[in-house]
Parts: sequence; structure tokens; C-alpha cells
Amino acid sequence: MNPYLQLSGVNKTFGDFTALDRIDLDIEQGEFVTFLGPSGSGKTTTLMIIAGFEDATRGAITIGGHSLAGLAPQERNIGIVFQNYALFPHKTAAENVYFPLQMRGVKKAAGLAKAEEMLDLVGLKGFAHRYPKELSGGQQQRVALARALVFEPDLLLLDEPLGALDKNLREQMQIEIKRIQKRLGVTTIFVTHDQTEAMSMSDRIVVFSDGNIEQAGAPLDIYHRPSTRFVADFIGESNLLDAVVTDAEARVAECPALGSVVFGAEGQPPVVDGQEVALLIRPEHLKLSRDPKEGRMNAKMVIDTIVNYGDNALVIGHRGDTQIRVRVPGADVVILKEGEECHFSWTEDAAFVLDR
Amino acid sequence: MAVTLSTLTERRNLWPWLLLAPLAVYLALFFLVPLAEVAIMSVTEPRPGLANYEKVLTGSLYRKVFLNTFATAALVTVCCLLVGYPLAYLMNATTQRRAMMILLLITMSFWTSFLVRTYAWMVLLGNNGPVIWLLETIGFEDPPGILFTRFSSTLAMVHILAPYMIMNIYSVMQKIDRSLIRSAESMGAYGLSLFRHVYLPLTAPGIANGSVLVFVICLGFYVTPVLLGSPREQMAAGLIGHQIEEFLAFGLGSAMAIVLLVVTLIVLAIYSRRFGLDKLYG
Amino acid sequence: MDRFLRWTGIAIVIFIAAPLVIVVPMSFSTSPTLQFPPPGFWLGYYAQYFTDESWLRPTFNSLLIALMTTILTMALVVPATFALVRHKFWGKGAANVMMMMPMAVPHIVMAVGYYSYFGSLRLVHSHLGVILAHTCLAVPITFLVLSANLKGFDRTLERAARSLGATPRQVFIHITLPILRPGLLISALFAFIQSFDETVVAIFISGRDAETLPRKMFDSIRQEADPVIAVISTLLFVAVFLGLIAPHVLRLFRKLFSRAAPKPVRATRNTQATTPQEVK
Repeated sequence: MNPYLQLSGVNKTFGDFTALDRIDLDIEQGEFVTFLGPSGSGKTTTLMIIAGFEDATRGAITIGGHSLAGLAPQERNIGIVFQNYALFPHKTAAENVYFPLQMRGVKKAAGLAKAEEMLDLVGLKGFAHRYPKELSGGQQQRVALARALVFEPDLLLLDEPLGALDKNLREQMQIEIKRIQKRLGVTTIFVTHDQTEAMSMSDRIVVFSDGNIEQAGAPLDIYHRPSTRFVADFIGESNLLDAVVTDAEARVAECPALGSVVFGAEGQPPVVDGQEVALLIRPEHLKLSRDPKEGRMNAKMVIDTIVNYGDNALVIGHRGDTQIRVRVPGADVVILKEGEECHFSWTEDAAFVLDR
Repeated sequence: MAVTLSTLTERRNLWPWLLLAPLAVYLALFFLVPLAEVAIMSVTEPRPGLANYEKVLTGSLYRKVFLNTFATAALVTVCCLLVGYPLAYLMNATTQRRAMMILLLITMSFWTSFLVRTYAWMVLLGNNGPVIWLLETIGFEDPPGILFTRFSSTLAMVHILAPYMIMNIYSVMQKIDRSLIRSAESMGAYGLSLFRHVYLPLTAPGIANGSVLVFVICLGFYVTPVLLGSPREQMAAGLIGHQIEEFLAFGLGSAMAIVLLVVTLIVLAIYSRRFGLDKLYG
Repeated sequence: MDRFLRWTGIAIVIFIAAPLVIVVPMSFSTSPTLQFPPPGFWLGYYAQYFTDESWLRPTFNSLLIALMTTILTMALVVPATFALVRHKFWGKGAANVMMMMPMAVPHIVMAVGYYSYFGSLRLVHSHLGVILAHTCLAVPITFLVLSANLKGFDRTLERAARSLGATPRQVFIHITLPILRPGLLISALFAFIQSFDETVVAIFISGRDAETLPRKMFDSIRQEADPVIAVISTLLFVAVFLGLIAPHVLRLFRKLFSRAAPKPVRATRNTQATTPQEVK
């Protein structure tokens, strides 16, 4: 069976500049997919091409087996929540939500009733007759969401919708959006440059960089098994160390910073002798101690800076010219001092090998 | 997809011209053509040649009128600045409420027609008017007539054009970051030196804007000088009207009009080189 | 220093206010010669204005000409402004300059041009001639006001409407036009006032048949200083005053009579309030 939403060979150039370079992507019905990447990586361009506001230079997009080619935005039946919400200032919340129904010929009484129902669903009971400027940012966000969902779109696109909200409200809205999406079962693409947001919300993350898809996969897959250096660096914190494979069989690499390092085999890519690689060790997989730890690989470093976050702390140190980052539980931090030398240790499986 | 794409872009390129075309044609027919007509008349009436320009540029009467126009425009500009700058400053310094009241007064003045304001000055300065009455009341015997002099027309023009100056300076002053002034004070600038080194340079764009606007409008001012000024000290616009209405000297009037236009455009060009013309009337 | 500045300010305010206020008492004066203080008060000159054909006709002409000028100007400028603000095309810079040109040319120069050009077209002394000329002169200010409004228009609103199922035509009718309405009204008002107040071109081309109010006033001031002018000045001044304070008064009324209405909540900040889920 064909996937629900299919992008094949989608290419977009502006003059000499290639914004998107052959994007291939399949999305299943009901899936919550996040496009993650730095600004200018092509994620928003892809979204706008799907929505019909930009034309692809080459390539094809289908939803449920039907091509979107030649369809104007209003003919695509795709709901969009914009970054600034784009609520119509001259219409009340209910009228905003009624608008897509109005465009589909629904009579006013029935449409407004449906709109209020939808506002209930997003938690805005009793706010139907307010104008956008009388609503808070979070409330405007909810209206925009209701408006994009009320006409039962085939696809929901969210373009960095949480960017303008402050931290607490962001987290609430993440949960809300997820709840409503599950309840309605609508296939959703969420665009963001915030990796924690992507981690917490998605069924699948698609990482964009320079107009290419770097990797697509489940959040934890992407976190623990990044396929490129860019992904390893962009998602979460990382220690990335250059190394050369010395024994592919025994999975040993020689690393200028740490010496000989054994790396895991499970779920890791195959390597050959003499291959230049990068080793990824996540800061939370390193442990600090005064003395070397039994059964783990150990090395020494000098502590430069300790950044406290309360429940945990980031310890930044150096070994030779290489910077080492370690996450330690908040309680442990009291015994550490800046300028001190200490050991850090890790297990084989914590060292993940990547193509350089 | 490729087909719709190309037709779309084609339509996009044509569309703005379709939207613009009616106005472009209109302005060509009813703005550029009459303007060109003035230029043509200036070298064909009453007979072909540059005689009109020779007269305008060398004749002592015309030269005097143009110099007088310049001098008056410069004087009015300076006076507007002297009136406008302190007031804009005070509006910024005083309470919000007072500033709003003054702003209301200025917009009211701005929106009241040139003619009404000119007439009001006639009433004020007339032989039986309040100013003379006031002078007589405080003991002046037989005060001189001030209406229909260079003084009265200049005063009225300053009054009429001051709102342009005030609004320009005020809007610039309002945008000045207070912390900039505070930081200058913290570095030891105060009083006159604060004004000279910080405030004045920051408000310079407003001064330039207002001055150019006032100067240019004043150069071509017709109504007020004709109604209030001395008939012996005409300004350019008045003399042009005079040539056309009284003597039907279209050629000479047109030549003067062209000279006036060129001078105006030169001032605006110098200005737009430095600041961009679109900002002037914004 | 402060006291000096203060008195300077008061003097300037008086300088600006005095001419605006002085015409009001003069319009009620019984004296035909602008005598101050007025020897007595009556409404005679008001009665004269409202009954004298030679004043009412120019008033009517001016209103008619200003109205037609407004309609013509808007019909031409609105599409052009959309083109200039929203599209990139070859020749855009030149088109922009062309829109602004009538503002840079002294009116007396245009008056000479129209006098001769409309003479050859037999449009002198006609309403149509004045309307055509005034439309040219009203283009720049109308364009400036409208383009400022259009530049401030958030185009994602239009994209949102498209995504919600509206065709470009529907977007224009349901979204663009209603949101731009205040800007359109204000720019139309500017066009109207530009025409209603225009004096110089009208003096030269309106003639007796299409005589406008400013032309009649100009002639009258130049010849005999008819006290009726004080009446008209007062009326015009009051019109401007009412126009300027109307929004404030309306706002005051709205405040007084809508205490039950919800208080506007500041958009992006203040987010912790009011929604049940957000309070927790």
C-alpha cells in the first residue's frame, strides 16, 4: 500500500540557490511528524510547497494517492497554523473558526455552532465572541488550531506555532496540541527549530540541513543512533571526537584525545579498518569520579566550568585541546571544584561511531 | 505542475502593469502633458526662441523677484525652525496630556485651509484689528499699518507652514531613546554641550525634513503673498499669476514657471540624494 | 532657563492658536469692516451665507468637485498602490517617482499648464476640468497614506484564508478589503480635503461656471473682504475641529457605555490568565 503523504524528488531552486535538493519522504496516516532543523535548512520551504504557497521546481507530492499538482492552496484541504497565528482581526474567535466552513458553503447558524464546538475542544469555551486582540497569546494559538481543524483537513501543518509563547505556556501547548491531534487522528507535520519540542511531541522526526533530509526516524532513534555528525551535534548535547578505526573486528578506534577506545556493536553502523570516524559520547553517559572506575573506560580531564541547573549540572572540562562536556546529577556537583583534575568514564555502548 | 507554474509567473509579471496602467495613462495625459505644455510655451510664445529665459534671467525686475522669493523662503524656514524646535522640545518634555493638547492644536492648524488662515491674519493685523487695537490700548499713538507688507505675509506663512516643521521634528524627537540621553549625561554631558553633541545631531533628520518641506512649499507659495504681501515686493508665484492673468504673457509666465520648477527640483534632488525623497512627506 | 522655555512655549502656542480662534467672534460681528473689538453681535452674516446664491453655488461646486475627485482618485490609486506595494516589476522605481511628482511641482506651475492645456481641450471653466486637475494633485498624498496602510498589512492573513479554502477573490472580499477599510477611508478623506482646499489651480481654471469655494473666497478677500468669509472660515474651522475630536469623543462614549465588555488582554505576554486549562 502507498504511504498517505508522499514527497518524491521534491526540488526547489531560487535562481542559483538550491533551497531543497531532492526531498523524498513518506508519512503514514495519523502520524505526527516534526520537521526539525536550523533556519534556512528548508523545512519551512517544504511546508509551503505542501501547502501550495510555493511551487516545487521538480518533484511530486501526493496525499492518499492523489497528486497535489496544479491544485491552488484553497483546493488542497490542508489546515495550517502559522507562526503568528494569522487570526483575522476583524472577526471574533467563532467567526474565525467559522470562516473555512463559510468558504465551503456551510450556513451561518450551523457553521457557528460547529465553530463553538471546536472552540470547546481546544479549551476555549466562552471565548467565542472575543476578538483576537482581546485574547492572550495562548488563547490566540488555540483559536488558530481550532480554525485549522474545523473543516476536517486531510493534513495539518504547524509552522513554528509555539515560537512566540513563553516557556511554561509552551509546554502546556505542546501537551494540548498532542492531545487534540491524537483525539482527531489528523496527520500532522510540525515545523520547529527547537529540538526538545521535537523530541517530546513527535512520532517521527525529520532532520533538515542545507536543503537535505539528514535523517528521519523515531525521536529516541535519532537521539541515540544519529546517522550523521550534523544530527549528532544538532540534537541534544554531544562530545564528538575524531578517531581512526584500528580494528574493525574488535571495534576499536584510536582517538587522539582519549587514546584507544572500544565502541559498541549493537545498532551501530559497520566499519572497516583504517576508516576515519567520529565518536559520539552523550554528556549524560559520562561519569565523573576521583579515581578510575572498575569495568568502565577511564580518562582524566581538568574541570574548567560548572554550570548549575538545580536538578543537574553541566561540567565543562578539557583534556589536552579537546573540550569534554559531562552531565552530572545535581546532588553530585557539590564535591566538584573548578580547576580540579578528575576521571571521567564510560561504557562501550555509550560510544557511538559515526562517519566523519 | 511545471505548466501551471510558468503560466502563473507570466500572469504575475503582467498583472502589476495592468493595475498601474490606468493611473500611468492618466498622469501622462493630465500631468505630464500640461507640464510639457508649460515648457513648450516658454520657448514658443510669443515667438520661438529663448528670449523669455533671457528676460527672466537677466531682467532686473525678474531677478529681484526671484531673489526676494529665495530670501523670503529662507527667512520663513528659519522662523519656522525657531518656532518649531522649542515647541517640539517642550511637547516632549511636558506631560502627556499637555503634549496631546498642543498636538491637537497643531493638527487643527494643519488641517485648516491655507485661505482661512491667511484670512485670519488679515483680521488680526487689519487696521481695525486686534493687534492695532492692542497697540493703541497700551499707548502707541497712531501705529503704522502692518497689513500688506512683507512682514504680514512672512508672519502668516510662518504660521501656515510651522505645523510641517513641528510635526517633523516632534516625530523624530519622540523616537529618541531616553536611555541615550541618560547615558550621555552619565558620561558628563549636560546643558548646552548635551544639546549640541547629542540632542541636535539626533534631531537633525527632523530639522532637515521640515526645513526642506517648508522651503520648497514657500518657494511656490501663491495665495498668502498675493493676499497679504506688499504689491511692490511680489514673490515668484504671484508674478507668474500676474503675467498670465493681467498681461496674458504666457511665454514669459511659463519661462518663470519653469525656472521656479527647476529650482524646486534641484532643492529636492539635493535632499533626496542624502535622505531619499519618500521619507520627506511621510 | 526653564521659566524662559516655558514662556516661549506659551507664546508659540498663542501664536498658533490666535489666528484659528479670532475668526469665530468676527463671524458674529455686526461690523462689516473687521473692527475689533466687535461693536455688537448678530447672526446676520450666517443668514447671508446660507441664502446668498453667490456663496451657495461655489460651496456646492466645491463639494461636487471634491466628491468626484475622490472617487476618480481612489479608482486610479487603489489598484496602482497594490501593484507598487505588492509586486516587483521592471520600472517600479520610475513608477514610484511618477506617483510622487505632482507633489513636487508648485501648484502655480501646474495652474499655468492647465490654463493653456485645458483651454485647447475646451475644459476651462468646467467642472470636469477642475476634477481632472485635482485628481492629479490628489494622487501623491492618497498614494502615501494608502501605501503606508498596505505595507502594514500582514500578508500571512491572506495565506491563512487561502489555506482555509478561500479563492483569491474571496480572500480580497472577506479579508483584505475589510481589514484595509479604515486605511481606504482615510486616504479617500485626504483626497477629498486636498481637492476641497485647493485654491491656486481653481483660481486659474474654474471660471465662473465651476467656481469653487476657495476661488470665491480668494476673489472676495482680494476685492472687498466680505464678512461672510469669517462665517465660512468659522464653519470650516469647526468642521476640522469636529473631525479631529470625533474619534476621541467616540472612544469616550464607548468607554462610558460598555463597562460590561471584556477588558482587552495584551496579546503575547500576560498569558497565564483566563483559560481554564492554563490556570490549573
